[in-house]
Amino acid sequence: MGATFVVTLREGFEAALLLGIVYTCLDKLSARQHYRWVTLGGALGFGASVLMGVAVTLLSGPLLDLGPDLIGIGVVFGAVALLTWHGWWMRSHARLLQDDVQRRVLEAHMTRRLWALALIAFTGVFREGAETVLFLWGLVSQAATGAATWAGAAGGALGLLTAAALGWAVFHGGKRLSVPRFFAVTSVVLLLVAAGLLAAGLGRLQGLGVLPQTEALWDTSAVLDDASVLGGFASGLVGYRARPTAVEVAGYAVYLVGAGLLFFRRPAGERRVGADDAPRATPRTRSL
Amino acid sequence: MRRVLAALVMLGVATAAAAALAADPPEIALTIEKNRFQPDEIKVKAGVPFVLVVTNKDAGPEEFESKELRIEKVIPPGKTVRIRVRALKPGAYGFIGEYHEKTAKGRIVAD
Repeated sequence: MGATFVVTLREGFEAALLLGIVYTCLDKLSARQHYRWVTLGGALGFGASVLMGVAVTLLSGPLLDLGPDLIGIGVVFGAVALLTWHGWWMRSHARLLQDDVQRRVLEAHMTRRLWALALIAFTGVFREGAETVLFLWGLVSQAATGAATWAGAAGGALGLLTAAALGWAVFHGGKRLSVPRFFAVTSVVLLLVAAGLLAAGLGRLQGLGVLPQTEALWDTSAVLDDASVLGGFASGLVGYRARPTAVEVAGYAVYLVGAGLLFFRRPAGERRVGADDAPRATPRTRSL
Repeated sequence: MRRVLAALVMLGVATAAAAALAADPPEIALTIEKNRFQPDEIKVKAGVPFVLVVTNKDAGPEEFESKELRIEKVIPPGKTVRIRVRALKPGAYGFIGEYHEKTAKGRIVAD
């Protein structure tokens, strides 16, 4: 039971984190009526995961050998692009978040971009979704034939529930932060998540032989193993790898600097207005 | 711009995949049975790419995963999946069945 709990918790954590963040973003923009877009994206992500699980089971030959890899890589890089866009969007509109009237204007802007939030929810769920669906299906079918007890399946379900609870905690914790602070914290989290996803995508390309192989730069598996619960959290949150390759580290660093500038450099117009409009929270703006 | 980049990446993957499928690297059979790998140690020549032909004889799916080789591959019950592995430097590379980590363990030794 413990082992299956760890697997689904590890796989579900990143999806829960992203869903928590996107829901809270809408809450901060007083746009709760649009929650259903995120819910729809997440639900479609789950549906796609089930379809993919079924497809993988039915397929064979080269489609089965390569199809899942191609889709997996597409989803990873798609998620990086979406998160980068989201971070950039938050920075460029941070100034508008400081009073209610402007926030309503922003919300109107937002409604035209809701598909992107739905897509973030979709990729968040779909990324590890098919694997998790297959894993759970395997557990249940094994339990049904009596090969194992139901404890394994129960552990798997409990792991997913725990991941969902963590997403819920992110949502509630996020709601308590002031608007500017929430967006500042979220920008940092999304920057790290996206950098980690990019590194993961590059690693998979190396595994497939598309990118040249490079040696692992260091090995910290003795301190924090990828496969442990904590390692899984660190992997979902900041893209932790116990034995990162040079390509992964370089991609991570370049993304962190490039997207960091995109997320945190103040727009030119704002700089003219002065430091008061900085996107980061100041004591005065915390009253929001 | 991003779409173009994404398309280029996909094209790169497809080309490399096609090229690799066209080549004829040695094949090594690996079986999953009762949530274990058989054999659990695979000897390969260093510096030569190869293909792992993994057959899952169990009733449930398994995921072949090697963190070191950056490979994650679901193998549905009763199916065979071909996994291309790049030329390895001499050394040992661990792999697990992620769905049954406790029992499904093995390693590839290249020398």
